[in-house]
Amino acid sequence: MQPILSASTLSPWEPGIFALVVYGLMVMGLVALLLFFASWLGEKKSNPEKLRPYESGVIPTGSARLRYPVPFYMVAIFFLIFDVEAAYIFAWAVSYDGLGWAGWLQISFFIFVLILGLVYIWKKGGLEWGPTAKTD
Amino acid sequence: MGANRENGLTDRLTSGADILINWARKYSLWPMFFGLSCCFVEEATALTARYDMARFGAEVLRPSPRQADLLIVSGTVFKKIAPVVLRLYEQMTEPKWVISMGSCSNSGGMYDVYSVVQGVDQILPVDVYIPGCPPRPEAVLQSIVLLQDKIVAEERPTRSIFHLKGGSQGSQDPILIDGQTKARDSRGPGMEGSAIRGTSALPPGFSDNRADLMWTPPPRRIELGEESKSVAKVLHELFGDDVQQTEYTSDMPTFQVEGHRVKDVLRHLKTEATPRFQRLEDLTAIDESARRKRQEYPDYTLIYHLLSFEPASRLRLKVALNGEHPVTSSVTEIWPSANWYEREVFDMFGVRFEGHPNLRRILMPHDWIGHPLRKSHPGRATEMDPYGLEDAKKHQPLDGGVYVTRGGKENELVLNMGPHHVSTHGLIRFIVGLNGEEITALEMDIGYHHRAAEKIGERQTWHQFIPYTDRVDYLAGAANNLPYVLAVETLADIRVPERAQFIRVMLSELFRLSNHLVFFATIAHDVGAMTPNFYTFREREIILDIVENITGGRLHPSWFRLGGVAADLPEGWKEPVDDFVRIFPDRLKEYEALITKNPIFKARTQGIGRISLEEAIDWGISGPNLRACGLGWDLRKKFPYSGYDNFDFEIPTATEGDCYARYLIRVEEMRQSLRIIEQAAERMPSGRYVTDDYRYVIPERGDMLKDIESLIHHFVNVTRGPKIPRGEAYVSCEIPRGEQGYYVVSDGLGYSYRTRIRAPGFPNVQVMPLMAVGETIADLIAIVGSLDYILPDIDR
Repeated sequence: MQPILSASTLSPWEPGIFALVVYGLMVMGLVALLLFFASWLGEKKSNPEKLRPYESGVIPTGSARLRYPVPFYMVAIFFLIFDVEAAYIFAWAVSYDGLGWAGWLQISFFIFVLILGLVYIWKKGGLEWGPTAKTD
Repeated sequence: MGANRENGLTDRLTSGADILINWARKYSLWPMFFGLSCCFVEEATALTARYDMARFGAEVLRPSPRQADLLIVSGTVFKKIAPVVLRLYEQMTEPKWVISMGSCSNSGGMYDVYSVVQGVDQILPVDVYIPGCPPRPEAVLQSIVLLQDKIVAEERPTRSIFHLKGGSQGSQDPILIDGQTKARDSRGPGMEGSAIRGTSALPPGFSDNRADLMWTPPPRRIELGEESKSVAKVLHELFGDDVQQTEYTSDMPTFQVEGHRVKDVLRHLKTEATPRFQRLEDLTAIDESARRKRQEYPDYTLIYHLLSFEPASRLRLKVALNGEHPVTSSVTEIWPSANWYEREVFDMFGVRFEGHPNLRRILMPHDWIGHPLRKSHPGRATEMDPYGLEDAKKHQPLDGGVYVTRGGKENELVLNMGPHHVSTHGLIRFIVGLNGEEITALEMDIGYHHRAAEKIGERQTWHQFIPYTDRVDYLAGAANNLPYVLAVETLADIRVPERAQFIRVMLSELFRLSNHLVFFATIAHDVGAMTPNFYTFREREIILDIVENITGGRLHPSWFRLGGVAADLPEGWKEPVDDFVRIFPDRLKEYEALITKNPIFKARTQGIGRISLEEAIDWGISGPNLRACGLGWDLRKKFPYSGYDNFDFEIPTATEGDCYARYLIRVEEMRQSLRIIEQAAERMPSGRYVTDDYRYVIPERGDMLKDIESLIHHFVNVTRGPKIPRGEAYVSCEIPRGEQGYYVVSDGLGYSYRTRIRAPGFPNVQVMPLMAVGETIADLIAIVGSLDYILPDIDR
């Protein structure tokens, strides 16, 4: 641990808390200013039609707040999960010679668990995505 | 003193800022991807390589009004679509501008008819008007420049932006009100006392009608073949006096059937008779109340046109109906395709069909009063009250839940795709029931593009109606003229010289090519490939150049005339055609290299939107969509017209019946069309371009200037219209999208008594639920692209 020197802590030129605070304030100020300009300068003529959801020019039917099946969302989430897990494998691969057989066994176990997960998802039908009515 | 100086400073500051803001705005206009009819084709062409609208800082059309600030109202504003146009305008971002493109949008144009708003400026403020029908792409570019100039010259945005008084931005023009700030009256100011031109010759008065003084030979009469005679014999044996054969006809065997037997007769003809009449070609009605010889006719006549594939023949059934609201039985059990046809007859004539599953209006808005094709219904919009802002707010399209019910399933979504949508290819509304992405139900709401061409046929003379036929399928141009002129020529027995026939064939095929090029671009675009657009529109421009060189027009040449064409081929017409024939095969290879074997394209289209041949026949599908199901049925071969039997070409077919097959058929058809064009240009016969029998036709100009006989014919046929003998004829042609038929009925006057257009798109689109239910919503777009329908042809 380095001792904190009061002189450089408050200096705007050297890295430290004060510089971060100044930077943070500036960012917040800029964002606030932009938001203010956007809302103040923009011309607003609100009427019921303008506030209505756009649906090809007609009045939408029913509510959009419904339990909507999202199979593609599941697929996307699975991809994300496996993608992140692959990062561990890359980390192992980079230094596999230093980790030796113990590392190899551990990563094999890790991959095995992943495959088990994939099989489980597959069996559960989590990867099924598309119209069901297709018979041919 | 101090206040003044302050004001002066503010003024100087704001006017400086105005210059800057206006400069920025004029070069970053965002037009909406919004088209109503023909004009939009030219607007879209303005984006492509030759015209390149991007040079003017308005290159990207935005699909949603939230992202757009410029509305180019391109095309006819229909009363059914006007509430949608208004809503889209309201939903656009501020500040916003409006360009009114084309005569229809400016003033109603040539469509002074009950379903059309006589100028979009009655519901929206308009900044710039573009004249033309349709205006050329260059005119769109000029309108952008004019709007830019207007922004710079008239707008003071800084004051508005900073909430100071006296600023202005966006459209400031007022909405016009009929009788106060604009006049819809086609007679002009001070002429209110006179009748609208031409109306005095029309029913109920006929006071100016001169046709009764003229003599004509009788209509064409055909000799019936052996098959027709045997059909007549069998019908007589089975149904006795309930079926009466009409003695003389101009086109096909015709039978008068008693109302209570019609279902049995139709079932017999479809399932038992030899030959089998497997397709319900068309079903329509005639309001007989304005006949010159009223006592000879019932109140309404229902007309069934049937088609047999093997051998190729047609047959007509007529059913007399009486009473103010006649009732007859529905034939939807026999032909599912009768569903929409019967709805149309109900909508247009008020005839009820017992046993119809869903008898409600189809073309007109649900709250319309009256039945437009009745003779008592006004034809012109200017005879009716002006359509204004209040009407556009009031007459909303029906809620989607009326068409598709969720049926208690809480995770189903009812989604409206259209009437304004990038992928619907025009004003049609798909109401889709969705479970996730899967389509569980599909209904169509049509009629947003109902231009009332059939009603117009009853008031324009036989020649005057030709320009309206161009606009029935606005991508098929002159090919549209052909079935109409052939129908009238069949009825009046007008002979067409060979040269004129060749010119007609050549132009029709050029338009088939140009149409298929647009198809190629749009289907590729629909499944995500943008590039082909820019290639095919390049060649389409070459075709339109040839068309323009010959006819003087681009989209709507209105070039065919009764008895021939409007003028002879110009000098030097052949070189551009030859050049095109030479370069096009390589270009076609280039497109195919992009798409035909493209794995993404195949994955999106193969096995999608499949339909079997039996279903296709039952539902009356025609054109490339039918040939993609495996039937080599093409009217150019089966009922050779206009000399098509002189040409050597093949009819491509496929068997899969899916989107990919429909694509392949059209690509091959382009090759075959090119062959026909090549042969027509090569073997173009010499001779006359219009018949020398001037009784019904517009004479050659040289003759008109030289001899008095021709001059008289010219005068009569141009002004009052030729008197066509009393009778009827139906002729159908293979236009690019399928079989387009015209059924013309003459009461011996200068204009038709009833003009019926059998459109290919109407049955082709009716069948869509069969193709799309069970597929995903993305597949619906591919199906739409592959069917290649066009709205004015569905709604007419």
